[in-house]
Amino acid sequence: MRAYLDPGAAVVSVAVAMVVGVYVVAVIDGTAGRLAAGAGRSDLGAVLLDPLRTVALLLTQRRRRTERADAPGWALAPGLLGGLAATGLAVVPVGPGTAVADPSTGFVVFATAIAFVMIAVFLHGWSPNSLFPLIGAYRYGAQALSLQIPFLLAMLATALPAESLAVMDIVEAQADLWNVVRQPLGLPLYLMVGVGVSFWGPLNLPDGADLIGGTSAEDAGTDRLAWELARAAMLFSIAAMGAAAFLGGWWGPLLPGPVWMALKTLFLLVVMVSSRHLVARVRIEPFVVACWAVFIPLALVNIFVSGALLL
Amino acid sequence: MAALEPLGAALAVFVFATIALVAIRSASDATAGVGETAPERVPFLGGHEPDVHAWSRFHARYYVMALLFLAFDMEMVFMYPWAVVFVREGGIALAEMGMFITILLVGVLYAWRERALRWA
Amino acid sequence: MGLRPAVERVAARAPVPVFAVAGAGAQAQVDDLLLQPRLHLVDSPAAANVLLIAGSVPAHLAGELARLHDGVSRPRLSLWWSLGSSVAPPMPPAVEVLDADPSVLVEAVVDTHRRLLFGELTSSPPVLPDEEPAPWRGIGPYGQGGTGMTGGVPYGRPMAEVAPDRDGLRLDQLTVRIGPFFARFPTGLVLEVQLQGDVVQQAHVVVAPEGEAAVEVDVPTTFRDALNTPVPVSVLELERARSHLRSIASALVAHQLPSLARRVLRFASNVHPDQSEDVQRLHRLLRRSQVLGWATKGVGPIPSDQLEGTATGPVARASGVDQDERTTDPAYLGLGFEPIVHDGGDARARMAQRLAEAGQALQLAGRAGDRHHDPEASLESPRGRLAVGDLPAQRLLPLLPAVLEGMEWGDAVSTVVSLDLDTDEVLALRSPDRELPVP
Repeated sequence: MRAYLDPGAAVVSVAVAMVVGVYVVAVIDGTAGRLAAGAGRSDLGAVLLDPLRTVALLLTQRRRRTERADAPGWALAPGLLGGLAATGLAVVPVGPGTAVADPSTGFVVFATAIAFVMIAVFLHGWSPNSLFPLIGAYRYGAQALSLQIPFLLAMLATALPAESLAVMDIVEAQADLWNVVRQPLGLPLYLMVGVGVSFWGPLNLPDGADLIGGTSAEDAGTDRLAWELARAAMLFSIAAMGAAAFLGGWWGPLLPGPVWMALKTLFLLVVMVSSRHLVARVRIEPFVVACWAVFIPLALVNIFVSGALLL
Repeated sequence: MAALEPLGAALAVFVFATIALVAIRSASDATAGVGETAPERVPFLGGHEPDVHAWSRFHARYYVMALLFLAFDMEMVFMYPWAVVFVREGGIALAEMGMFITILLVGVLYAWRERALRWA
Repeated sequence: MGLRPAVERVAARAPVPVFAVAGAGAQAQVDDLLLQPRLHLVDSPAAANVLLIAGSVPAHLAGELARLHDGVSRPRLSLWWSLGSSVAPPMPPAVEVLDADPSVLVEAVVDTHRRLLFGELTSSPPVLPDEEPAPWRGIGPYGQGGTGMTGGVPYGRPMAEVAPDRDGLRLDQLTVRIGPFFARFPTGLVLEVQLQGDVVQQAHVVVAPEGEAAVEVDVPTTFRDALNTPVPVSVLELERARSHLRSIASALVAHQLPSLARRVLRFASNVHPDQSEDVQRLHRLLRRSQVLGWATKGVGPIPSDQLEGTATGPVARASGVDQDERTTDPAYLGLGFEPIVHDGGDARARMAQRLAEAGQALQLAGRAGDRHHDPEASLESPRGRLAVGDLPAQRLLPLLPAVLEGMEWGDAVSTVVSLDLDTDEVLALRSPDRELPVP
């Protein structure tokens, strides 16, 4: 009997988790930015309160239209991205036998959520009928397609020891040894893909500075707010799944399971979010070549070596 | 049917989260986008007006890479059940999937050499 | 309703989203605004509520400035930071700040935004008249049908026409003017590009429209003063280091590293002759962040034969052309000055060149003592040889069409940023459409 919550409790728990996760992403981003800028001791109050203030500011800013835009698409895009992030988060187990949703193919549900992000970002860039958002949308197509296979291969290696596609079983199989130790190539690949799928930092090509904001160039007010919330939620979901699949989920001494999950998710979030202030944006062409020529072979080596060791 | 219950929960989460974010985004509909003049709705290009609509037959230069992706996606479809039965089937499973992957990797090598991964 | 005032009160304390336009004589001050935590400089007007115009914006940019103003999200206000300029912007701002001190400006911006939120100031109305670009009267619901000009132009703009591309496909080609206020370009630089997908097929530089009077470069800076009066060599070299560091900070922002850019800007505002090790540390930091790595390697190569007799300065030296006006300057004799030259000619070489020259400039400033630069001798500004009527930007801009052809858009922006064009010079260049006089 696979674990799940009834729809009401599922929605509430994922909503609460997402709100907390998005806030934590914003705080980590502010802290990493200040540390990278080297400003010295700065205002803890500002770091903690600025995300809330920015939310309020975006609520007071008025949304804009562009001429002949695709209004339904523009409205749906951040919703779709957020919905996919929530679905990805829902299949991550929190403790032994405790999960919002643990279907026997939970891994496939997560992979599907990641794959559909491309549609959300493309819709977001297509809808305003403006040049720079459109270029961002098409660029993300190349980026997302190139990242899918390394992602699937890196995560599939974690399903091998578990002999199951259910995320709960993947975590159960790490009772004696975490996957990051058994398959060391998997986690760095997964983190890179996570940053890429959430178009964050060095892989922020669709919303890049060379496109003056890219797919978000015509966004104002709650448009921008919803999009940024959805993107941060996506980062959080990817970090949570990474903690479950690679860092042993709820396994750990002394503290209860859910606390370990939170700590491991926090660690992966710090690594992913701080990359924005440390590494420059990649160029799309070398990145596509690197994905196909370097990362896929690495992921395949990861799978086959760990598979051979299991036998 | 009991196996579908967790999927039902995930689906409920997806639908609710999508609706919630669309609602957040449209919450200011009553006051936003009202009374906007035509110049306020011009797409921003740095100050000049665009001559043509942005919607066009955009040259998505990675179309050949997308075909390659399709091949690997079909491979992933086969790898999902393979991962589940791998330990049970043993070395045969490793060898068979290894052959499959090798053939596809030759395809990647060919595509790379034929400059399919270049930005056309 | 108590909710809205509460939200406004919280929003008033957030970093104010500002779209900053750097007019003549204001680029350095606007760059330094990145250091202010209470301002959030944005790239597109949709993200901004406050339009900040700094310095003097020439009258021939009035139309574009008006369009920019209307693109700012409501509630909006424009502010003018005069910085000693007496020429008001062509579009009257709501608030004028006379003090050059950035903290006074920040206070004014924050206060203005707060009053705007609370309703004490009204949002400024659109400047341009409410006219559709081309009223369409087609037969169908999307403007299709009809004959001649009465139909077939949906929502005021035609659809793109096809053109052949390098892989044999005939797809749509968009001709766009990427305007004077594009965030990564110097103010006033207009590129008319033909884009297929996101690759530049052709680029032309449009600097000033025909027949319009343009502003003379009358903005005094250290190097322009050195053309007329003797300036101490140490002052010149410190200013050179500052300018190079600022251009590196601008490149960092273009590569999406604003935090590192803040670090570099803080360094630039406090340069001192004893800081050569800091330059070394900065070099390591830039290499680790890959800005001096895969982000700029092979981007925008300019071969040295294209540079013979045209561009000078760090751009030429980064392509291997060994030319520096300071070698013939008697004030630099005995300081141990050797021009630094890189080869490669790509954006990475140019950035490494500027960083190395910044370190060298700091060392020279420390050794210069009391020497003064003679106005009669030739002058090497941070961007190239500077003389009356011979501006570095005049020599660099003609390189752009050939270099940008066939480049992907991100690389094109990196290339323009790596040329380090001076805003004052770009704004001052007068020329007939698309022709730049090369001295």
